[in-house]
Amino acid sequence: MRRLLHRGAFAAASLLLVAQCAEAHIVSSRLGDFYAGALHPLTDLQDGVLWTALGLLAGSLGAIHGRWLVLVAPVGLFLGFTVGLSSGSAWIGPLSTSGMMVLLGLLLALGMRVNVAVLCAIALALCLMLGVVNAAGIGDGTDTVLFGVGVALSGYVFITLVTALTFTFRKLDGQPTGTWRAIALRACGSWIAAIGLMMGGFALAS
Amino acid sequence: MRTARLSHATFLVTLLVMADTASAHEQQGVPGGLASGFLHPLSGLDHLAAMVAVGLWGAQLGAPAIWILPITFPLVMAVGGVLGVLGIPLPLPEVVIALSALVLGGAVASRLRLPFVFAALVVGVFAIFHGHAHGAELPKSANALAYGVGFVVATGLLHLCGIAIGTLSRTPAGGRLIQALGASIAVLGCYFLLHNLGVWS
Repeated sequence: MRRLLHRGAFAAASLLLVAQCAEAHIVSSRLGDFYAGALHPLTDLQDGVLWTALGLLAGSLGAIHGRWLVLVAPVGLFLGFTVGLSSGSAWIGPLSTSGMMVLLGLLLALGMRVNVAVLCAIALALCLMLGVVNAAGIGDGTDTVLFGVGVALSGYVFITLVTALTFTFRKLDGQPTGTWRAIALRACGSWIAAIGLMMGGFALAS
Repeated sequence: MRTARLSHATFLVTLLVMADTASAHEQQGVPGGLASGFLHPLSGLDHLAAMVAVGLWGAQLGAPAIWILPITFPLVMAVGGVLGVLGIPLPLPEVVIALSALVLGGAVASRLRLPFVFAALVVGVFAIFHGHAHGAELPKSANALAYGVGFVVATGLLHLCGIAIGTLSRTPAGGRLIQALGASIAVLGCYFLLHNLGVWS
């Protein structure tokens, strides 16, 4: 029995050694361009930091604010993507994205009660901007609709998840201000604003 | 039994034969930027001691310092970082950084209770110098945003360590321990100060 187990383990290890990459979602297949679009924003830190900042801000403001982002974020990303296809993305420099990072970070760090309309305006501006930036990553022969839908859905999932997690995290203490959960969120805002400041400095220096 | 050992040995040898080159110190792109930014505050003992001392002092001072500190410090330090990146010089940066460890360690050791505004001012001035050093030493090949993320996160975590250790001050014995830690940081700062002034090389 023991010998059989050893042989089995050896056979399993040998099989693992000759394993090849799994190709379950071949990018060149039917929906490959959709996956390429969905993964494109995740290959860069910039989108991740900005989406996280927006999700944290909306989640800390409450459920009503968060619900609006479910609509505004993907629409903004797709619109921005279509604008980027026609106009290019050269007009959006790193200073714009770092400025947005500082704005979102400061709003979160200062614990400001932003109303729904202002949050939607900021989210729309941010998503338009990131949509334009992501349009620059499209390659020749790529299906633009599938790629754009991938970008928009990726942003929608990311932002909605962060918003929901933040809202749940914030709601657990049942206190509006002054608890460690609120302070932790504000500290995150300060970190994001600091990262934006550094990024702006790097952009100015280069 | 012997066959099993032989199988294991064969397996290990096969693994060794197939081993690839390890890229342990890759300093390029996003991974390089994250690694160098994260390690920068941890690799300099003077930076590390001062950051922990800030957290310890905040914990000793209690509210509101304990929670305003982690919110404002990264921002002020980032301002210094921008000055460093832009190449705007500050007077005697290394001396002031060593002085920060001495002053903050001394404040913890003596349980100095300054009015909050003055404490924030002292910490803010030192934060600018620390940020300046981090910004000025950005590796050219590293991704700038990733460097910023790594550096801010490492600094925040160091404060958190200081605050967590500082909670020991709630008990009399813990309070003494924190004061001793503060004194050690002050001695370290004194050594770096003398070293930077050329008195002790």
